[in-house]
Amino acid sequence: MIFHMGRNSCLARLGAVIVYAALFGSACQRTGGREVTAYVSADRPFSEPILKEYERQSGVRVNVVYDTEETKSTGLANRLLAEKARPQADVFWSNEPVRTLVLKSRDVLAPYQSPSADGIPSSLRDAEGYWTGFSARIRVVAYNTNLVKPEEAPKSIFDLADPKWRGQVAIADPRFGSTSFHVAALYAIAGDQKMDDFFRRLKQNGVRVVDGNSVVRDMVVRGEVKVGLTDTDDVNVAVEDGQPIAMVLPDKEGLGVPVMPNMVSLIADAPHPDEGRHLIDYLLSSDVERQLAQSEAVQIPLHGGVQGPKNIPSIDTFKPMTLDYSKAASRVEEVTNRLASILGL
Amino acid sequence: MWQGQRSRTVVIGIAFAALFVCCVLPIVYLVATTFGADSDAYTALALDSRQRGLLYNTAFLGVGTALLATAIGTPLGVALARVPLRHQAVIRVIAAVPILLPPYIVALAWIYLGSRRGLLAALTGRDLFSAWTYSPPAAVVVLSLVLYPLSMLATEFAMRRVDGRLEEAAMIVAPPHRVLWRITLPLVAPTILASALITFVLAVSEFGVPGLLRVRVYTTEVFTAFAALYDFSRAIVLAVPLLMVCVVVAATAAGLLGDRLNTARRSAGVSPVAFHDWRRPAGIGFVAVVAAAVALPLLILGREALAARSLGEVVTGSGKAVVRSLFLSALGATLVVALAVWVGYAQARMRRSARLAIQVLLVLLFATPSTIVGIGLIGVWNRPGIAGTLYGTDAMFLLAYLARFVPVAVLILAASVQTVSTSQEEAAAVSGAGWIRTMRGIVLPQMRLGIAAAWVVAFVLAFGELGVSVLVAPPGDATLPIRVYTIIANTPASRVAALALLQALVILAPVAALGATASLRKGQ
Repeated sequence: MIFHMGRNSCLARLGAVIVYAALFGSACQRTGGREVTAYVSADRPFSEPILKEYERQSGVRVNVVYDTEETKSTGLANRLLAEKARPQADVFWSNEPVRTLVLKSRDVLAPYQSPSADGIPSSLRDAEGYWTGFSARIRVVAYNTNLVKPEEAPKSIFDLADPKWRGQVAIADPRFGSTSFHVAALYAIAGDQKMDDFFRRLKQNGVRVVDGNSVVRDMVVRGEVKVGLTDTDDVNVAVEDGQPIAMVLPDKEGLGVPVMPNMVSLIADAPHPDEGRHLIDYLLSSDVERQLAQSEAVQIPLHGGVQGPKNIPSIDTFKPMTLDYSKAASRVEEVTNRLASILGL
Repeated sequence: MWQGQRSRTVVIGIAFAALFVCCVLPIVYLVATTFGADSDAYTALALDSRQRGLLYNTAFLGVGTALLATAIGTPLGVALARVPLRHQAVIRVIAAVPILLPPYIVALAWIYLGSRRGLLAALTGRDLFSAWTYSPPAAVVVLSLVLYPLSMLATEFAMRRVDGRLEEAAMIVAPPHRVLWRITLPLVAPTILASALITFVLAVSEFGVPGLLRVRVYTTEVFTAFAALYDFSRAIVLAVPLLMVCVVVAATAAGLLGDRLNTARRSAGVSPVAFHDWRRPAGIGFVAVVAAAVALPLLILGREALAARSLGEVVTGSGKAVVRSLFLSALGATLVVALAVWVGYAQARMRRSARLAIQVLLVLLFATPSTIVGIGLIGVWNRPGIAGTLYGTDAMFLLAYLARFVPVAVLILAASVQTVSTSQEEAAAVSGAGWIRTMRGIVLPQMRLGIAAAWVVAFVLAFGELGVSVLVAPPGDATLPIRVYTIIANTPASRVAALALLQALVILAPVAALGATASLRKGQ
C-alpha cells in the first residue's frame, strides 16, 4: 500500500503529516506555561491524586512519569542515571530509601532544605539536604486471621524461621524494593553472621520468595501461606477489602520496627529548579501527609500534630529501628549478592 | 543484474544507515561508554559458577520452546494447508490468537490455575501441581502455547507455495500420506526451521514469563543487575553469554537452512494433495490446542477479574491509553515494515556469507535485553540539538519500536523475498525496467503476505512492549502496558487479572477485525 506512490500519493502525504504530528505534537503541548516534571516511584494510586491536587491548586502543569512494580521493569532510578548528563526530571519522589541513596551517591541529586521540612525528625532527613523523608510505611508481619490466632502470630522477624511456620512463610524478593532496604537495614544493625544464619534457617524452613509485597499479601489472604513479610499499605488494601488478614509490628521490644519514609529530592541541573522546589515544599507539607494518612496508603505522618491513619499506630507509640539510612543503603549490593547465594535466587 | 543502478544503491544505503542509527547505535553507544577499567571483576563475573545454571536454563528454555512450539504448530499448519476444514479462515484466526497475547498474561493465568490455592487445587481438593507451576518446564509450556502460531502460519504459508506438479508426479507411485512425508515436508522444512529460530530468539529474550515463574535465565539476571544493583556494566557482561547462545543457534540454523527456502510457485490448475480423512483428528487437535492456549487463560483471568472492585473506574480511566497504544503501535509497525522491507530485500539478495553475517547480526539485535536497548536510546537521543528535540516526545516510542522490532521484521521479510525468483527481476532488467519499477511491479506485490505478516507481528510486539517504553516514555502520557504496570504495583489480584484481560482484549479486537476483513475480501 504505501509503496504504490503513484496511486496513493494522498495517503502517503497524510501519513507524513501524521508522523510529523506524532513526532512533535507532544513536545508542542509541553511548551509554554509553568510546568514541573516529577519522576515518581511511589505507588501510582496514592501519588496521582496528590499531584493532581497540586496541579489544581498551583496552576502549574505537572508532568509525571510513574514507576512500575519493582520486579516488572528496571525503573526510574536507572532512567535518572541514564539521563544524568541532560536531566529531564525536576523532582524524584521515591517510596523507599535505596533508590534515593543510590542516586545521591552517583551525584544525580541536588541539595535543597525545604522550609516545609521543619518538624520532620532530623533522623529522617539528609543532613546536607539531598533528600527529605515524609509519610512513612512500616514493615510488618501479615497473617491470615482464619488460620492464625492473634496471640500465635510471630512477634519478631526471627520467629519466621521457627519450624512451626515451615512452608508457611512468604517474603518479597529481597533484591528489590522495600524488602531490599529492610534486609540491608537488618544486616547493618544485627550483623552479618546473625542475618546469614537467619536466612539459611528461613531457606531450610521452606520460605516462599515471590514477586513483590502485594503478592505476599495475596498469598496470605488466599491462605497459601499463613504469614508473610510486607508493608502496611499492602495489608491495609486487603483489610479495607474485607479480607481475612491482619498485621503485627515486629520487634517492638528488640531491634525496633523498620520505618520506611517516602523520600523527595531535587534533581541536579533540573530544567525547572524553582518549580521543583515549590513542588517539594508542597509534598513535605502537613496537608499532604494528612492526605496520605487518610488514603488507602495509610502512611504515617512524620510531622507532629498530623492525625495518623486508622488501624496503624502512631510513630511515637512504638520503638522504631534506629539506623543510618546511608550506611544501610551502602550495603545493599553486598547483601543482595549474599542473599542470592543463600536463598538460591 | 542491477549494476550501475544508482537508485538501488541509494535506497539500500539509506535503509542500512537507518538500521545502524536505529538499532545498532544505541547498543554500541552503551557498550562503548559503560565499560570501566576493572576487567578483573568482569572476568570473575563471567566465570562465576552460577553462569552454568543460567546457561543451562536459558538453553533449555529456548530449545525447549522452539521444539514444543514447532511440534504443536507444524501439524496445525499442515492441517490448514491440506485438510479441507469448514470455516477454515475462522479457525486460522482463533488458533493464531495466542501470539497476540502478552506472554506475561498467559503466565499469570497459569499461576492462577496451578498454584497451591489455584483453580486445579480447588477443583480436585489436592495440591498436585504447585511444585510444577514455578519451574523451567512450566516456562517452556507457557511460551510454547503463546508462540506456536508462528510455526503454524509459517508451515501453512510454505505448504501453499509447494509446486503441485511435484506432488502430482509423486502420487503416481505413492499414496498421499507418503507424498506428504517424503516430498512436501522436506520442501517446507527450511521455512519451519526459520520459524523455529525466531521462536528460539523470542523465548530466550523473554523476561516476563521466566521472571514470574522464577526461572533463572540470563534475561532475569540482566534485569537484576539493572533493577537491584544499578550496575550497567554488570548487566552488559551478563548479556554477552545470552547473545553468544543466540549467535551459535542462528549460525547453526543458517548453516542448515542454506539456500533451501522454497522459491517455487504453485502451478495454476494443479490441485494440492488433500487429506479428507484427517478432518476429524484435525478438528479435535484444533479444539484441544485452542482450549489450552486461548480459552483457558482468558477464562481463568475472567474468573479472577470478576472479584475486582471499582473496576469500571480503572477501565474507563484507561481509554486514552488504549487509543494512544493502538495509534502508536500501528504507526510504529508501519515504520518498522517500511524500513525492514528494503533491508530484508538486500539481505535476501546478498552472497551467502554476507547473508549469514547479517542474519546473525539481526538475531543479536533482537535478543539484546530491552533494558540495554532503552538505556542506549537515552544515551543516543538525550542530547542537545535535533536528537534532543525528539527526546521527550512520542518519537521515542517509535524509535523504541524500530530499535526492537526491525530485526525480526527483516528476518520475516527476507524469507518472503527468497520466495520471489531472481529470474523475474532479471527478465525485468533485460526488458529495460529500472529497479524501482521492478520492485513496485514485481517484487513487492509478491511479498504482500510477508509484508502483512511482518506488520501484524510488529504491531502486536509494539503494543505489548514495556521494557524500553518505560525508560523512554515522555512524561505525562502513557501507553496501555505502562498504565497497567504502574497501577498493579499495589492492587488486589482480582484487579491485576482484570487489567491483564483488558490488555488482551484490546489487542485482540483490531487484529481480529483485520483478519475478518482479509477473509471477507478473499471470499469476495
